[in-house]
Amino acid sequence: MSFAGLRSLQLRLALRLAILYIAATAIAVGAFVYQAYDTAGSLNDRELGLRAEDLARAIVSDSSGKPRLDLPSKLAAAYAAAPEDDMFAIRDASGRLVAASPPEFGERVANWPAAKAEPSYFRLTDLSSEDVQGLSIALRTAAGPMWISVARTDGSNALIHSLLREFVSDVLWVSPLFMLATLAIGIFVIRNGLKPVREISRMAASIGPNTTSVRLPERNLPSEIRPLVGSVNRALGRLEQGFAVQREFTANAAHELRTPLAIITSALETMRGNGELDKLRADVARMNRLVDQLLRVARLDAVGLEFDTVDLNTIAASVVAAMAPLAIGQRRTLAFVGADQPVEVKANAHALEDALRNLIENAIAHAPAGTEVTVTVDDAGRIEVADRGGGVLPQDRANIFKRFWRGAGEKKEGAGLGLAIVAEIMRAHGGSVAVTDNPGGGARFILSFSALPTAEPKSAARCTRGDPV
Amino acid sequence: MRLLVVEDEPRIAEIIRTALERAEFVVDTVRLRADAREALANTPYDAAILDLGLPDGDGLELLKRLRPAGIRIPILILTARDAVEHRVLGLDAGADDYLVKPFAMSELIARTKALLRRPGGALGATLGAGNVVFDTIGRDVSVAGVPLQLPRRESAILEHLLRRQGRVVPKSVLEEKLYGIDEELESNAVPVHVHHLRRKLQDARASAEIHTVRGVGYLLAETKG
Repeated sequence: MSFAGLRSLQLRLALRLAILYIAATAIAVGAFVYQAYDTAGSLNDRELGLRAEDLARAIVSDSSGKPRLDLPSKLAAAYAAAPEDDMFAIRDASGRLVAASPPEFGERVANWPAAKAEPSYFRLTDLSSEDVQGLSIALRTAAGPMWISVARTDGSNALIHSLLREFVSDVLWVSPLFMLATLAIGIFVIRNGLKPVREISRMAASIGPNTTSVRLPERNLPSEIRPLVGSVNRALGRLEQGFAVQREFTANAAHELRTPLAIITSALETMRGNGELDKLRADVARMNRLVDQLLRVARLDAVGLEFDTVDLNTIAASVVAAMAPLAIGQRRTLAFVGADQPVEVKANAHALEDALRNLIENAIAHAPAGTEVTVTVDDAGRIEVADRGGGVLPQDRANIFKRFWRGAGEKKEGAGLGLAIVAEIMRAHGGSVAVTDNPGGGARFILSFSALPTAEPKSAARCTRGDPV
Repeated sequence: MRLLVVEDEPRIAEIIRTALERAEFVVDTVRLRADAREALANTPYDAAILDLGLPDGDGLELLKRLRPAGIRIPILILTARDAVEHRVLGLDAGADDYLVKPFAMSELIARTKALLRRPGGALGATLGAGNVVFDTIGRDVSVAGVPLQLPRRESAILEHLLRRQGRVVPKSVLEEKLYGIDEELESNAVPVHVHHLRRKLQDARASAEIHTVRGVGYLLAETKG
């Protein structure tokens, strides 16, 4: 059984089970048939023995002391009725024939050696049209010891043979049906038995970097599989720990970097200098952004999000208000176009604000001076950030949401994390971010809340981490 | 004017001190919460700048004890970005304003001055941005020393924008201010008044201007170079 296709444990077990059943059935039927023939044979032998005894009882000595067969009339009639089928021959101790029916049988038997007290069986194939079975035995009679041979043709066993033949053909008929039934029952039983395994497979499939706290249930599992699941769970535990250490490290590293960076930033700000100093300030500002974003990524990875019902209008308006001074400082204007009604979605307000802030920062950085960056909320649960910058080339649209990706000619500030953070936040919300052309020039980023997020990420969320001040 | 800076990171404290001294404040710096409490109890500071993460405990605790102790000076708290909820707790605990680290020194100075300008603040009743000066008692406005006559509603808007300068003032907030003056308000009253006010400031060559954040509100900022 090594077909490449037979990977399914279920199928393999079912097939083997079916083969086992067929073999067992074959052996059972064979044994039964053999036993039946055997029993039929011994019935035959026994009957021959009884006939011999009947004949022995019927042997008497006549007045001259010679042995003579004196069959009761019934028996005599029976033997006479079918002399071709039921035969006998009686010899005295010296081998002389006393009586025989039919005479041909007597002639044949007369040449045989002496019979013994133990019955000896024989089979004649040339005496009549059918085979003849018989026995010879030495028996004590009223006229002294006699050698008695009785025989009958096989035809008299015909009933038993035909019964057996019918039985065997019936069994052969039923076998395929029996095998199919066995296979079906086997598959059903095995499927049922493997159901918990399929269920854990489904659970295991849902495990990702953000749901490392999921463990597979070990209850109700077959004991053969429980050790495997236990090992997988322990491996998951170690993996989770590894993830946690990694996240913790990123968060700590970013956090530790901030103080020295803040010092450099402030020091540069208070220094009076030339153009070189301005370049240095820009470099440090970029580094500040990078560290800030690393920290955001780390926090997003580390703590799952808790969701509340929020109004996209409220959130977008507050982020626009918070970002407007930055935009105005860079000679861009920021505008907000809200939906007429509150647009409520399940979301984490802080994360959503982060996402929107990143998009607006990005738009401000790419928009030409004097233009407007427009933030729009619509009734369908979308937030759009549109600018009048250079837009995003179609071939770049799939890549701009990857971490640390930079466009070919891009020399703007930024670490390449901002849009990746946006994509990750939207994924955590069960939504998406996309970029298209802004009619009239520029790029339009769209945050879509396609469906309410499931409760699943929430279960992984409660690993609280002390918020450093 | 004398300020207390409570900051445990010595380099940041030093830089803040340098910047504030350049803006002609007198600055004392302390590292610990206990020192801060003592300094505030003994010296009549005009304002304090308080970092919330201190080696001997949370700055919030200090904040909660100051107000009951009768210390009413304006307090600006510094908080890390990844502890945004602290800013709410800080404001609830009696802080007057907050800045999220990392912040620009220029913004720290601007916010500090704004705090001192509040009613009861050390800078008294005068609000200003660039060459625009607003006397909240006489309600007189002058641009580069030249008096500017403004209708009541426009001056109310200007006052509010000046108090929150550098930040967006939602249109709805300005509408509320105008309701106090005029019971019947046209739906486009605020944009119309802002439009007139902006025109008048431009005509007077003011070095501060009103920006529109369409859909949200207005922002007054000093004109850059």
